[in-house]
Amino acid sequence: MSRRRTAALPTPVALLFLLPAAVLFGVFVLYPMATALTYSLFSWRGTAQEAFVGLDNFVALFTTEPYRTELPRAFGHNALLFAGAMAAQNSVGLLLAVLLHQRERFRRLFQVLFTMPYLVSPLVVGYLWSLLLSPLFGPVNALLRAVGLDAVAQPWLGDPDTALWVVVLVTAWQWVGFPLLVYGAALGALDPSTQEAAMLDGAGAAQRFRHVTLPLLTPVIGTVSVLTFIFSMEAFPIPYALGGSSGSPAGATDVMSLLFYRTAFHSGASNAIGVSSAVAIVLFLVIVGVSVAFTRWFRGVERRLT
Amino acid sequence: MSRRITRATASAALVVLTLGACAPSADSPEPGAAAGEGCDGDAVALDVWSWRTEDVKTYERIFDVFEEANPCITVGFQAHLNTEYDQILRTGLTGSDGPDIAQVRSYGLLQPLVEGGNLEPLDDVVPELAEFDDAALDGARGREDGSVYGVPLATQTIQVWYNTAIFEENGLSEPETWEDFVALNDTLLEAGVTPLAVGARDGWFVPTVHDALTAARYGGADFQQALRDGETDFTDPAYVASIQTLKDLQEYMPDDVTGVAYTDAQVLFTSGQAAMFPGGSYEQAFFQDANPDLELGVFQVPPPPGSAVDHPVTPGYADGNWGLSAATQHPDEARTLLSWLASPEFGQLVADELKQFSPVPGVEYADPLQQEMWDLYQESPAPYLLLVDYRYGDPTGTDLMGQAGQKLFLGDTDAAGAADIVQEGLSAWWTPGE
Repeated sequence: MSRRRTAALPTPVALLFLLPAAVLFGVFVLYPMATALTYSLFSWRGTAQEAFVGLDNFVALFTTEPYRTELPRAFGHNALLFAGAMAAQNSVGLLLAVLLHQRERFRRLFQVLFTMPYLVSPLVVGYLWSLLLSPLFGPVNALLRAVGLDAVAQPWLGDPDTALWVVVLVTAWQWVGFPLLVYGAALGALDPSTQEAAMLDGAGAAQRFRHVTLPLLTPVIGTVSVLTFIFSMEAFPIPYALGGSSGSPAGATDVMSLLFYRTAFHSGASNAIGVSSAVAIVLFLVIVGVSVAFTRWFRGVERRLT
Repeated sequence: MSRRITRATASAALVVLTLGACAPSADSPEPGAAAGEGCDGDAVALDVWSWRTEDVKTYERIFDVFEEANPCITVGFQAHLNTEYDQILRTGLTGSDGPDIAQVRSYGLLQPLVEGGNLEPLDDVVPELAEFDDAALDGARGREDGSVYGVPLATQTIQVWYNTAIFEENGLSEPETWEDFVALNDTLLEAGVTPLAVGARDGWFVPTVHDALTAARYGGADFQQALRDGETDFTDPAYVASIQTLKDLQEYMPDDVTGVAYTDAQVLFTSGQAAMFPGGSYEQAFFQDANPDLELGVFQVPPPPGSAVDHPVTPGYADGNWGLSAATQHPDEARTLLSWLASPEFGQLVADELKQFSPVPGVEYADPLQQEMWDLYQESPAPYLLLVDYRYGDPTGTDLMGQAGQKLFLGDTDAAGAADIVQEGLSAWWTPGE
């Protein structure tokens, strides 16, 4: 996208108008961010800040228990959440968007229906699904048994092999409306003449999608992927509602935000603020680093395609 | 496009950081206090903070009693959401518009405030504390100096609740011996009733169940002392045996117990589908609300064979204290209030109005069930071990037992392995004898 210089306002006046937003941004975003960074560089005794310790908190994070084990495990789970969201949420979202794009009638209605779950608090969604999946009273297993699928009925959230995938699917259930809307808008903005041209050339529906629509959607796919990555890395309410603060069962649904929460607010450890701030910083660096790297790489892909 | 992504990336990621930082709040003027009748000078307003939003009305009635006796002090009671309270309180106590007196957590979660110098030691300030039981005061001690930093507010006990109607239908009575206990579980199982309403999906509930059912097996308070003295650790055969006993009792719990939530277990019990519920005294209000027709009884589980003690025990723990802010502008008035909070008058109000166990000596309970639980605890108290002594570091003992118990129930580890998980986890910050 090209950069243009607008000459509507002289620079000092423009800066003046930017000031309120900049102040708000500074006070509510930059200041806490800088604070968290400094917190992680000090040792703490309860709420009292003690000596400057440099990177000791980070070293502790990577070399001492329980963090040495829990940090990579939690990161691994976040990565699986991302992979799962890409597979279950974004692909389904794209499919639904394409299907809805092809029909005029009821498109709005379905868009609203698919988007509805994300108007509900994720914490509520999580608790709702934990009730639905209860092995004792949950309708999901009851339904499976009623249609003779007894073998499929599982203690979904009680089994370490299925629990994380339940988190993925519940997240997808709530957020599928997001890729649906974004892809829908992108499809609407595509020039219909490209489709017509392909049709005249004798391309079938699948070919048109693969060779015309998909390449044109590439920039949007990139945006959705990066945002999905960020959401997956920051996942908190749904894992918390489904597996509690320790990632039940037996740590199978533990993610970075839960690790941060436990370290900061759940332990009686003296240096809780120092170590938990270090967790937050590490998470921040990973999110920024991966997102920026991915964006760079993706820009290259886009350029080759266009 | 790419810039938009980068910006979205940055702002979204920043949310993580803002989570980590809590800035001290600004000054705000003290609300003017109207002097009560019988006060000659100006009244002093004390701010009292609490996490019991559900008890605000009750606490206001309770503090009316205090204000009548102390016309020159008015109490402003403020409750904050339980889940946010600790963060709000940390900020409040480090700033200048915080409370004079605040409800503070017990044991490990009290330590950040003690170590931060936010609370005053009370040993010399509140002489009434000398009358309190040591087990109750343990919940208010600073880990490093051993001083008391709070007036204990409430105590919780852990025992087995049972549905008396189900027991009668099946010709059962409270078990006297371990054999009785196992036999009655078998009878219930044959009758198609889930004997033990247990859910292990919520990790925090697992150690409660473990201590409710098998604290006598490892020896309760004696084992706590042995750990404190450095004579043993959690791989002790007695402790391993207690975990094995928990595993042996799994057949009396719901199927797929690791998938069953704590709330599911509550519903199993209150709806009459399960006969017993190993849990805390704090369940009573919920049980009675959920099913007013439920006829409740309580008992202590008899000691299993080979137990370290020859009698059943009731584990218990201190649940909250009243702390004195180091930044209070009215230390004298705050002390007067704290002394009252340690008095039998307040203790009785806690029992009658809040329906909680008060650690103030000599309090009596109108509810016979409550009196029975309290008497059992007084007769043979034990610590709720992993909460009482093992929440002073990361990971906490209760979290570890939660995970270890889940693995145990899943069959991923055996009793010795579960004990190893607890011991190894705790060894990150705890050495026996320290």
